Amino acid sequence: MPEKTVKCPKCNKIVTVTGKPGEVVKIICPSCKTLGKVTFPAQLSSNDIAIEVNNLRKEYGDLVAVDNISFKVHIGEVFAFLGPNGAGKTTTVEIIEAIRKPTSGIIRIFGKDISVSFDEIKEKIGVLPQEFHSFERLTVKETLVYFSSLYKNRVDIDDLLIVMGLKHVENMLYKNLSGGLRQRVGVAIALVNDPEIVFLDEPTTGLDPRSRRDVWRIIAGLREKGKTVFLTTHYMEEAEFLADHVAIIHRGRIIAEGSPSELITRYGQGDVLHIKKCKPENALEIIRAKGFNARLGEEGDIMIRIDHRERVLEVLSMLRHECIDYESIDIRRVNLEEIFLQLTGAKLSEE
Amino acid sequence: MNPRIIINFVTDMKNWVRNRGAVFWTIAFPVMLILIFGAIFSGSDEVEYEIYVQDLDSSTMSQSFIEMLGNISFFSVKSIPVEENITIYMEKHDLKRALLIPSGFGEAINHSFIDPNVSVNISFYYDPGEQSSNPIVKDIVFSSIQMLNMNLSGGRNIVGMKLISILTEEYDYIDFFIPGIIGITIMTSNIYGSIERNTKYRKNGVLRKLLTTPITRAEWILSKMLFMLFLSFLSTGIIIGVGILMWNAIININMLVFILIIATSFLFSGLGMIIGRFVKEEETADSAAGAITFPMMFLAGTFFPLEHMPLFLQTFARVLPLYYVNEGLRNAMVYLDFEKAVLNTAYVLVFTCVFFIAGVLLTKWREE
Repeated sequence: MPEKTVKCPKCNKIVTVTGKPGEVVKIICPSCKTLGKVTFPAQLSSNDIAIEVNNLRKEYGDLVAVDNISFKVHIGEVFAFLGPNGAGKTTTVEIIEAIRKPTSGIIRIFGKDISVSFDEIKEKIGVLPQEFHSFERLTVKETLVYFSSLYKNRVDIDDLLIVMGLKHVENMLYKNLSGGLRQRVGVAIALVNDPEIVFLDEPTTGLDPRSRRDVWRIIAGLREKGKTVFLTTHYMEEAEFLADHVAIIHRGRIIAEGSPSELITRYGQGDVLHIKKCKPENALEIIRAKGFNARLGEEGDIMIRIDHRERVLEVLSMLRHECIDYESIDIRRVNLEEIFLQLTGAKLSEE
Repeated sequence: MNPRIIINFVTDMKNWVRNRGAVFWTIAFPVMLILIFGAIFSGSDEVEYEIYVQDLDSSTMSQSFIEMLGNISFFSVKSIPVEENITIYMEKHDLKRALLIPSGFGEAINHSFIDPNVSVNISFYYDPGEQSSNPIVKDIVFSSIQMLNMNLSGGRNIVGMKLISILTEEYDYIDFFIPGIIGITIMTSNIYGSIERNTKYRKNGVLRKLLTTPITRAEWILSKMLFMLFLSFLSTGIIIGVGILMWNAIININMLVFILIIATSFLFSGLGMIIGRFVKEEETADSAAGAITFPMMFLAGTFFPLEHMPLFLQTFARVLPLYYVNEGLRNAMVYLDFEKAVLNTAYVLVFTCVFFIAGVLLTKWREE
C-alpha cells in the first residue's frame, strides 16, 4: 500500500498515512485532533507514467535554459513545476508540448517518444499556453466549438460550459471577458477533447485572489476526475494547495522534487517566526549575530527559522535583551517559499 | 472538404464580420475611394505633357507649327519616324496621344491663299482611357492651330483638327481607376491579414495552442488563404458593382481576371508572411506593412497613369508587383488587350511564386 507523510497544519505533527491508489483517506492528528484528508494518486506504478523526461537540455546560444533535467509524472497526479520567472519552466513545458525543439534529451508521453509520435499524442493532451488569448471576436461558446472541432474526440460543449462555470457568458465575445473568465475559457479550451493530460502554464498569473481560487477549484476537479495535470507556476501556495508532486526548478536545474509534505519534511524542519516591523534598522544584524537563522521580509519584517517551538521563548528573550522593538510576532510552518530560499538563497518572487 | 478547413474559414468569417475596422478597409474604404476619385478626377494638372508628332510633310510650314508647339512651356515635343504607322507606334510605345501632320500640309496652306475652299487637317490621335491629361492637351493643340490660322489668314480655318481615337470604345477615368482600386484592396487586405496571423496570433499564444492540436500547418495556411481569397473576390465584386452602378464603368470579367485575383491574393499574403517573420511585434509589423503598401499604392499607377511621374519613378514602378497587377487587371478588364494582360499576369505569377513560397518557408509555427 502506498504511504504518505503529511504534516498537521495546526501543530506540525508529522503523520504517516497509508491508502490505496486513488483513495481519499480521512485522518485525525494524534496530537491536536485536527481533521484532514489525504488523496492518493490513482496509480503509482512504473507502468503508469504519463510523462517521462530524460536528460532534457535546451540551449540558446551560450545560454543554457534547461540543464539536463529528468523527471516523471504519474497518471492521475497533479504535477507542479515550481520556479521563479526565467527558471526554465515554460521552456521545459513547451518542449514537452512539442512547441519547442530540445537541444538534447528524450521525452515520452504514455511511453511514446514525442519526437516521432506527437501527432498521435495530440489527441490525448490539452494545453493552456502561457499568456494565451483566444480569438477576440468569437463568443465563448464559438471559441470552444472551434477548438473542439480540431479533435476527433470531443466533449459536449454545453456540459463543459456548465462545469467550467461559463454558461452565463457563453454568448459574450472573448474580448469582453474579465481576466479571470478568460483564463477559465483557456482552461476550458484545454479540455475540449477530454484529454488525459492537461498542461496548464501559469494559469493564475495576473489573476485576482478570487479568480485564482476559481481556477484552483477547476484544477482540483480535474484531479478528482483522474486527469493528469502538469502545472507550471511560480506561486508556492498554488503548488502546495494543488500538487501531489512538486519539482522545483532553478536556473534550468531541478533542485528538489517530491510531494509538498515530503519536501517540507525533508528540507523544512521547524517553523518560521515572523516578526513584524522590527526596529532599530540594524535589528537583522543583531539577531544574526546572536546565531539565529534570520532574513529580511517585506516592510522591515524579519523571519527567523527555528528548529523547535521551544526556541520561541529564547527568541523573545533575545529581542527583549537587545531592545529590539516590533509590532507583532506569529509562528508559521515552513512552506515551499522557505524551502526555495533555503535551497537557492533567493526568494521565488525575487528571481 | 476537410472539416478543419471549413471551421477555420467560418471562424475567420465571424472574426472578420465583427471587426469593424477590417470590414471598413476591405469594403467601405475602396468604395469611398471610387466615389471620391470618380467625382473629382476630371481635370488634374500636369507640369509637362509629352506630345509625339509625326510629320509626313517635312515642309517649312509643318516645321514652324512643330516649333510653335515646342515653344509652349508645358509641352515636350517628340517625333515619330515617318516610316512608322502612327497607331501601331502608339500602341507599341504605350503613347496616350500623338499628332499627325499629313503630307501636303504646307502645300495645302499655300494653295489656300489662292483657293479659299482649300483646307487641311492635323490628326490628333488619342487614347480615350486617358481622361486626366488628354482633354487638356487637345485643347492646347486646338488653340495653337487657331493661332496658326490667325497668323496665316486672320482667322479663316485653313488648318483644322481631326480627333481619332486609337481605341474602339470610349473610356472614362473610372474605368482606369477601378482595376487599380481592386489591386490595392487585395494588396492591403492580404498583407494586413497575413500579418495578423503571423504576429498577433503568435504573440497571444494561438499559434502555440494550435501546434498542440491535430490541425496541421498546411491546413491552417490553406484555410486562411481560402478566406483571404473569398475576401478578395467579395471586395472585387463590390468595387465593380459600385463602379458600374454609380459611374457606368466598362468592366469585363474573364478567366484572366480570376487568375490575377487569385495570384494577387497569394502574392501579397506571401509578402505579409515575410514581414511577419522578421517583424515580431504586431504594431511594428503594421507600420512596416504601411511603409511598403502606401508608396506602392501611389507609385504603381493606381491613381495616376505612370507617364505622369518622373522617369526614375517610372523605372522604379516597374519593379513593383502592384504595377503588374494594376496593368494586368486594366488590360484584362477594361481595354481587353489580352496580349498585354497575359504578359502582366505572367509577371504577377512570377512575383507570386517568389513571395508566397518564401513566405510559407519563412513562416514557422514552432518557437526557436
